[in-house]
Amino acid sequence: MSPTQEGALVLIVTLAMLLSGVPVAFGLGAVSIVFLLIFQGFDALQVVAETFYSGLNEFTLVSIPMFVMMGAAIGSSPAGKDLYEALDRWLYRLPGGLVISNLGACAIFAALTGSSPACCAAIGKMGIPEMRRRGYPDDIATGSICAGGTLGILIPPSITFILYGIATETSIGRLFLAGVLPGLLLTGLFMLWTLFIIWKRGFRTHAPDFRYSWREKFQSIPKIAPFLAIIVGVIYVLYGGVATPSEAAGVGAALCVTLAVVIYRMWRAKDWWLILRDTMRESVMILTIIAAAVLFGYVLTSLYLTQTLAQAVADMHVNRWVLMGIINLFLLVCGFFIPPAAIILMTSPILYPIIRAAGFDPVWFGVILTINMEVGLIHPPVGLNIYIVNSIAPDVPVTRVMWGTIPYVLCMFLAIVILSVFPEIATWLPNHLMGAVR
Amino acid sequence: MRGANRPGGAVDGYLRAVGLLSRAAGVFAAGLIAFGVLVICDMVIERYLLGRDTVWQIDVVTYCVVAATFIGSAYVLKTRGHVNVDVLPLHVGPRVRFWLALATGLLALAFCVVLFVLGSLYWHEAWANNWRSDTVWRARLWIPYAAMPVGLGLLVLQYVAELICLVTGRTPPFGIGADRLRE
Repeated sequence: MSPTQEGALVLIVTLAMLLSGVPVAFGLGAVSIVFLLIFQGFDALQVVAETFYSGLNEFTLVSIPMFVMMGAAIGSSPAGKDLYEALDRWLYRLPGGLVISNLGACAIFAALTGSSPACCAAIGKMGIPEMRRRGYPDDIATGSICAGGTLGILIPPSITFILYGIATETSIGRLFLAGVLPGLLLTGLFMLWTLFIIWKRGFRTHAPDFRYSWREKFQSIPKIAPFLAIIVGVIYVLYGGVATPSEAAGVGAALCVTLAVVIYRMWRAKDWWLILRDTMRESVMILTIIAAAVLFGYVLTSLYLTQTLAQAVADMHVNRWVLMGIINLFLLVCGFFIPPAAIILMTSPILYPIIRAAGFDPVWFGVILTINMEVGLIHPPVGLNIYIVNSIAPDVPVTRVMWGTIPYVLCMFLAIVILSVFPEIATWLPNHLMGAVR
Repeated sequence: MRGANRPGGAVDGYLRAVGLLSRAAGVFAAGLIAFGVLVICDMVIERYLLGRDTVWQIDVVTYCVVAATFIGSAYVLKTRGHVNVDVLPLHVGPRVRFWLALATGLLALAFCVVLFVLGSLYWHEAWANNWRSDTVWRARLWIPYAAMPVGLGLLVLQYVAELICLVTGRTPPFGIGADRLRE
């Protein structure tokens, strides 16, 4: 069997395995062991345990549970509600102020957590019922929260960037910085679309005589100010060259838990257990996939499949933008079915040499990849955020939520096009603050 | 085995015992992550505030997170936290879904058993040869490596429990039941 045929066989079997419903980590691990046995014999199994363990034995990976804990501490506290309320009190006079508050709260919350579902749940719990109470159509109320939630993986800190950084040995700090402006661009596009559609259907605001007093406005600040200070602190520590991402995340996690305890009085054992349990569950899930993906990557490399595939693509001599279009389509289709962590860990080792050979900036590509993953989060059939929103507003049919998300999917496509025409939106900030690479 | 399926029989006893073990492992894993956070804070204070060299902190926090991953895995399986793609299971009939769940469950169990055996051998090698880490701390590696056979052993027990629950109808295939009908 030629390497190309072997590659095709491995990819088809892996895809079929993942679609069968087996947990992604165990499915990837099983495929890896089976192919090692078939192509390299029983002796090849000697390296499995070492590869699996060493895939996790990296200090950089420590940042994952730490950033997850930051999100879990804030997600289990009413901080999302306070953030939302504070923005609403300051912005309620603006036309469409409620939607801007929602999307703005999503963007700020995204800067506190690296996970999209956490972002979607925290803001949605407050935002969706409030928007519906004030007469916003269900598809706008739910669709905007689904979309706003996806900002969690684009605006730093982002678990997706950490995984991409680890898989491709790209600087995580640089990737985080690269996500800032595209994150703001996407937030702006989401806001513009939502304002346009509610303008078309008729604005809903507070009653004309409704006013928040200055006292009420200022009362909302003290509760959220410390969390905003943590964002600034973590960013300063990361980019001021003070500490590594893992150290910044660890201190950020400790501070977020402390603030949740002090401000929201979450000192009962049950509150602590909820934070720790959520952190442990999400981290173990991601880290097990990482270990299995490292084993899978080892199999791909030892069978020369990565190299063969990259060479085959290079030999096609297609235009680099056609190639990027094909890669985007491939990622989108993967994103419709497979969770982001698995896609990034499985495809990055294959795609990285291809995009480097085609002359694309890997940091810029990390941003494009992440936006593709965001589409998968709000696109059927998997669309995790859709189901989170559905659990918040169970009386809104899932199909209505899905229709509500479609315009935001188009906003994401537009963002990919804008970033392709102006890649500096992603690369300027990291190059400006950390110096250009090579 | 007669009476094995009766409430209070051998099967129920096994399921209860494994459930308790997995839960205890989950609490321990969560504790390891919390301990890791404290160690990082200590490292940051020592290194950046007190200007001291740190020797053991990076090793300890990394081993804690790795150990939490292995040891917490059984609890995560029990609480359906290991993410899967359920597009196909959602769109097939109940009968096919059952066989699909059984087949994928057995495959995943086989993987866990193989990794448990290989992990145990790897741990034994580290223990017998007194392997040390190549960091300044020179940690005895059999201690962190023990998390692999222990965690995978628990995972195997939990997977067997999951398969028993599936076959005896205690839980629906892929957890797709009344509570998971999304539409």
